This record gives sequence, C-alpha cells and structure tokens, in this order.
Amino acid sequence: MKLIHSFISVLAAAASATAMAQVSPDVAKLKPKDFPTQSIEYTVVYPAGGGMDLTARQLAKYAEQVSGDKILVNNRTGGAGMVGHAYLATQAKPDGYTVGILANLVWGDAMLRGKDKWSLSNLETIAYINSDALAWVSATKGPFAGKSAKEIVQAAKDKPGTVRVAIVPGSMWEYLIDQIEAATGAKFLRVPFQGGKPGIVALLGGNVDIAQGFYGEFESYLQANQVKPIAVASSSRLSNMKDVATFNEIFGTKDIVWNIIRLAVVPKGTPADRKAYLAAMINAAVRTPALTAEFAKLGAYADPLLTNPATAAAELDKMAQAERAFYVKTGRLK
Amino acid sequence: MEAINGLAMGFSVLFTPENLYFCFLGSLVGTLVGVLPGIGPLAALALLLPITFQMSPVAGLGMLCAIFYGAMYGGSTTSILVNIPGEAASVVTALDGHAMARQGRAGSALGIAAIGSFIAGTISLVALTFFSPLLASVAISFGPPENFGLMVLGLVSTLYMIGGSKVKGILMIALGFLAATVGMDIVNGQDRFTLNNVNLAGGIEILSVVIGLYGVAEILANCETIVKNQLLADKVRGLWPSFSDWKASWKPMMRGSFLGFFLGLVPGGGPVTASFVSYTLERRLAKTPERFGKGAIEGVAGPEAANNAAVSGGMIPLFTLGIPGNAVTALLLGALVIQGVQPGPTFITQRPDLFWGVVASMYVGNVFLLLLNLPLIGLWVQCLRVPYRVLFPLILLLAVVGTYSANKNVFDLWVMLGFGIAGYVLRKLQYEFSPFLIAFVLAPMLEQSLRQSLVMSPHGMLIFAERPIAACLIGISLILAVLVFRQRKLNQPVGDI
Repeated sequence: MKLIHSFISVLAAAASATAMAQVSPDVAKLKPKDFPTQSIEYTVVYPAGGGMDLTARQLAKYAEQVSGDKILVNNRTGGAGMVGHAYLATQAKPDGYTVGILANLVWGDAMLRGKDKWSLSNLETIAYINSDALAWVSATKGPFAGKSAKEIVQAAKDKPGTVRVAIVPGSMWEYLIDQIEAATGAKFLRVPFQGGKPGIVALLGGNVDIAQGFYGEFESYLQANQVKPIAVASSSRLSNMKDVATFNEIFGTKDIVWNIIRLAVVPKGTPADRKAYLAAMINAAVRTPALTAEFAKLGAYADPLLTNPATAAAELDKMAQAERAFYVKTGRLK
Repeated sequence: MEAINGLAMGFSVLFTPENLYFCFLGSLVGTLVGVLPGIGPLAALALLLPITFQMSPVAGLGMLCAIFYGAMYGGSTTSILVNIPGEAASVVTALDGHAMARQGRAGSALGIAAIGSFIAGTISLVALTFFSPLLASVAISFGPPENFGLMVLGLVSTLYMIGGSKVKGILMIALGFLAATVGMDIVNGQDRFTLNNVNLAGGIEILSVVIGLYGVAEILANCETIVKNQLLADKVRGLWPSFSDWKASWKPMMRGSFLGFFLGLVPGGGPVTASFVSYTLERRLAKTPERFGKGAIEGVAGPEAANNAAVSGGMIPLFTLGIPGNAVTALLLGALVIQGVQPGPTFITQRPDLFWGVVASMYVGNVFLLLLNLPLIGLWVQCLRVPYRVLFPLILLLAVVGTYSANKNVFDLWVMLGFGIAGYVLRKLQYEFSPFLIAFVLAPMLEQSLRQSLVMSPHGMLIFAERPIAACLIGISLILAVLVFRQRKLNQPVGDI
C-alpha cells in the first residue's frame, strides 16, 4: 500500500502544479536548530473525512506552506475519540513530533472518562484553531414550521414529552437540552442519534421535530429551504447566521454556550522551544486569508475571545473550568 | 431527457486525459485493495484522500468512487481462490465460490463474479442516472422503524441461508450480538463489557473480526495440510464460464442488481447486507437448494451483483441529500467538502458538471474494471499453484499490515489473533462464521433503531405496525422465519444439531 501511495503521490504532484508559498519570517525566527528532522505528525482522533479531519488536513496544508516542514495527518480512531486522546496523554513521546489537533470534547473525555488513567494535565494546549457553535434547526414543513425557539419550548412545556429533539447521548447535544429544560421548565422527548448529521436527516424525514447541529452540517439544507436555524448556543451571534438569536438572548440566561473549539495540544513535557515553534506555525497558518476562507466554507468561525495567541491558553483553561463546573452542578462529576 | 443531456455533459467533462487516467488508476487500486485481505476500501480511501486535494474535483472524486466499486470487483478474488474474503461484502461469495474453486471451476467463478459485477454496476448506474431525484425520497422515508424492519429482515435471511445446523447458526447469531454490544452504549453512552479497557470502549473493530475469523483461521486450518503443498493441485478446468454457467447465472445477476441497488439506497443497507440477502433469495428460489454451499454458481452471481449495485445505490442519498449511508460514503462526503462542494438537495442543480462528470466516470470505470479483471483471471488462477509456505505467510503479513493501518492501534492485532484462534476452534466444531458476522454488523444498527423507535413511539411496539414500510419488512421477515421453521422440520432428522 505504501508503494502505491507514494507512486500515486508522485503522479498526482506531477499532474497538478502546486504553488509553493513563502515561508513566514515569524515562524522561521522561532525554528529550533535541531527540529524538525523528520515529518511532524498531526493526530486526529476521529475518522478521515469528518469535520475534525478536514480541519486538520487543511491546517496541515497551510502550516506546511508557512514553515516549509513536512506534516502528516494520522487518524487514531476508536471509542468516540477516547482511544486517540488516551494515546496522546499517555503514550505519545513529548518530542514535538506529535501534535494533537483536537476538539474541546477532549475536556469532557478527560473529566468524565479519563478515570485515573489520564487527565487534562497530561496535555498542553499550544494554539487555538477555530470554533463551531451548536444550533437548533427546525424543518420548513410540518407542525413546527415557522415557529420560533421560544414557541417550540412553550409547546414542550404545555405538552411535556411530545416535542421530539435529536440528541447525541453523553455530549453537548444532550447538555444543551438539560440546560434549556432547567431554565424553562419544558420537557422534551430525546431521540438518541450517533452524531449531529443523522439527527438532521431524521428532521428532514419528519422523525424528529428539532435537530441540533453545526452550520456546516445543515448549510446545504438551509440553501434548499428545507430547514431553518432558530437559535444558536454561542456567546454572541455568528457572522454566518446574523439573524439567528443566541439561546442566552432568547431565554435571558448567561451560560447556555455549547460550541466545538478546535485546538492544538502536545503531550506534557514537550521542549519549550519546539512548542513555541509548533504554535507559531499554527498561528501563522490560521492567519492566512486562504485558510480562513477554507474554514468559513466548513462553517467554522474565529471566536474573538481566543484569537490573541498570548491569552488564548488562559481563556481556554477558563472555558474548561466552566465545563467542569457544569458537570459538578449536574452531578456528573464529584 | 434532462438525464440524457446531463450524462452527455458528464462525458464531455470526463474525457480529458487527466480525468480518464485517474479513473483508471482508481479502478486499478480498487481491484488491488479488494484482492488484498485486510486492506479494505475504507483504509485505501482514507490513505488517498489527501492526494485528491490537488486534483480537479471530477478526477479526484472519480478516482475515489472507482476505488470503492473496484474493491467490490476485487474482493471476490481471494474469497473464491483461498476462502479469505478481501473485504466484508465478499464473505458470502466464499461459500460457493471457494467450493467451485475446489472443484476446479475457479475460472468460471471468477468470470461470473467479474461479469456479474459489471452488469450490476451498469444497471444500477442507469437507475441512478434516470431516477436519482425520485429515489432520494425513498432514502429519506427510512426512519428508525423502517431501519429496524430492514435489520430484522437481514437477520432472518441469515438464518435462512445457514446450510448446516440451525441451532449452531442461531448460537453464532447470538454470539455476534454479544460481541457487538462491547463498547459504549449507543443510546446512553454507558460502557458495556469494556473491562475498564480504553481500547474496548469503542467496540470491537469489524476489520479485526473479519480478518481473524476468515484470514487467520483459514491459514491455521491449512497448516494442517501443508504437506500437500498445493492448494488445488492441477485440476483447474477452463478459465471461462461455460454456457450452462451463463444460463444459471443471468437471472440471479438481474435479481441481485435490483435488490442490491435498493438495499444500497436505504440507510441501513449497503454492500454487506445486500450480498447476504441476495444469497438467501437465490437459495430460496433455487430448484435444488441443497447445492448451495457446495459450488452453486447462483450463489456467486447473485451476491456479487448485489454488492456492486449497492455501491451505486448508496451514491444516490450521498449526492442528492448529502447523507452518507456508511463509512465509505462518509469519506466520499468529506472529499466533496474539501473540494468546496457541500452535497445536498441543491448539489445537482448547482454543480451539474461535477455530478454528471462523476456519474460518467462510473460508467467508464466499470468498463475499465471489466477489461482489467477478465484478463487477470488467468493470472489469479495461477496463484493457486503458489505453494502454501509462500502464499500464507504473505497473506498473514498483509492481514497484519491492513488491520494495523486502519486505526493504528496495536490492540486491534490482538483482537485479530484472538478471533483467528477462536475461528479455528469453531471451524473444527463445524460452526459457520457468516451468521456471526452479519449479526455483528447489523446489531448496533438494530439496537439503535429499535430503541429510537420505542422512544419516538407514543404506542410502544405498535409503531412498527403503524408505519407501512416497516410493517411490510417485518411481515416478510415473519414469513421467512416460518419457512425456516418448516424447512427445519422437513430436512432435519430428530436429534441432529
């Protein structure tokens, strides 16, 4: 397979003229003398072709351009990310050649499922990449067509357990519903799915009344006028859905914020100079307008709280603590 | 008319040297990954995905699709020759295909498999060309209750196709269910049977199971007879299907094509289910069902047509709705997104060049595959003359590399070895693996759709009677179950298990 792989790589490279971009001076000045001498590996803990994988591969492409180094993307999958997270925390060498391109789902994984084997302290966050916020979408046909989030919640309050909402058990899809029920006294019928997208498909087929997903997941159905986003779980309105209110606006709450934050981590103990270089590489790539455009195509946005590299790590830590507080408050964590 | 214009446009987009070259390359790679045990289409696609970034969308996508259906062509080869399926959709082919090879009819089996794949591929492409928008609504009408009905049908079919003891078959189905429950509960996220081991949290990897049960167990079993040194000696008769082979095969091919196409279309279907259900159907319709498992060519023609047709069927929800039905189409979806295309209801109207270009590439790719596979039959049959001591270490090496490369997790190799040893013991005790495997594949979806249906339903189990498609599927399953029971009464002397 390796042979076929390299054979095709050569052919593909010949078939298309790839423009080599300039190495960024900001990155070059941080380059350690002895690093890297081999390819850097970006570890993705979800399967190839998914949102996280696409983000990592696009990032790798631009990080290669700004650094001139070679980067491989490797998918270590299993257990909804748990196998890869545990690998990064406990097995990967802290030599700078392994970088995890992760979602903030690693926080919940570490707090609720890491048990005594590993925790967040085994990993160090080095850079922020982008964000994606969970939104409620309803169908443009059927009983809840044209209804606002407030009206649907009212319906779930009037007739408890009749409004069907698609969730992914044990994750932010479920926690969001927990918070809304706690804030409003409504009661939803939770239909479990294995991800956001299958829930949206069920919405199209009339099998649920509300689906929850990210912009990139429902964009094509929005364009075809089959679904409509009605509320978003971000701290402020998003640039790609300006007319969609946040849950906090609608229900007068402060803490209904559930988003995917994509970040880069290294195993604890990675040398400081290598860490700084890897971070500079990612930060420079993320600032490339072409990559910003690619991310926007996937539906992601840059959270203004996190775009300053100097304060990003501290802000991310605050967010992780807020998530821990939610788990403690809801009895999921002691 | 619209479809014909579209297709004409697709061919005009396709006919550039670059696009044709990558379509051919995809066909070639697909055949190879199909033939090599352990390396399935999913691993190959994941590996080659980054390379398509730099290609034109039609070339990139055409190549990836070609790998997918190419693997369906190639997958039957090792099933037939050495009883080791190249990938899961070819498990059924091994039953009769390998029996044919033992009788010296490997050439006929390989020929029928290749031609059946071609015919099914083409028929289902025609259906895809003309009926995509219409069929898209069928796919979306399959909610949890319908999926449950389909899974039940899949399971009952398995029971029906078991050749030997029904009790042993049911036992294997039960074991398959048990093995599938390992991992995180799909409804409430609790760990089940994970023994506090992080590697088991994600469940048992299907690739490790297939390679272990079939590949490793087969190699172990053959070690006993290694003194003979040659697999099938020299009794290879004729490389081409005879007239009577054709006569017996064309109807199963047609049925397999339509069945596979529809099972590919709906979310719970896909090539694996399609091949199993097709085998059951052929056995049911045959005048002499007892020949099945002993080299009945219908048992090769039907399933091989069905798994190829299912690939084209699966493209419809992908292209027209943006819904991937299985892991491979999910990866194709990723490839489209990277090319800046978000497949969904507006995809065909927004990017007709890309949609029709890829459809055209699939027509051409099927022709490439036929041209590629027919001359190779002679070569593959020659592989049977390779001594065991050379062939089997090679296969084992490929199995190890393939299993590891899927997740890069060494634990999967231990699982493969474990299933290999278990498979060897079960073989000795004359248990069949296919019921285990199909139960293992279907169980997660069955459990999920059952639990989803019950959550959704205001009247409990009645939801399966209230929804017509679901009711129909469960009705057919019940009839089949009764037939299984009667068949058992008629065929089996008391006390024989």
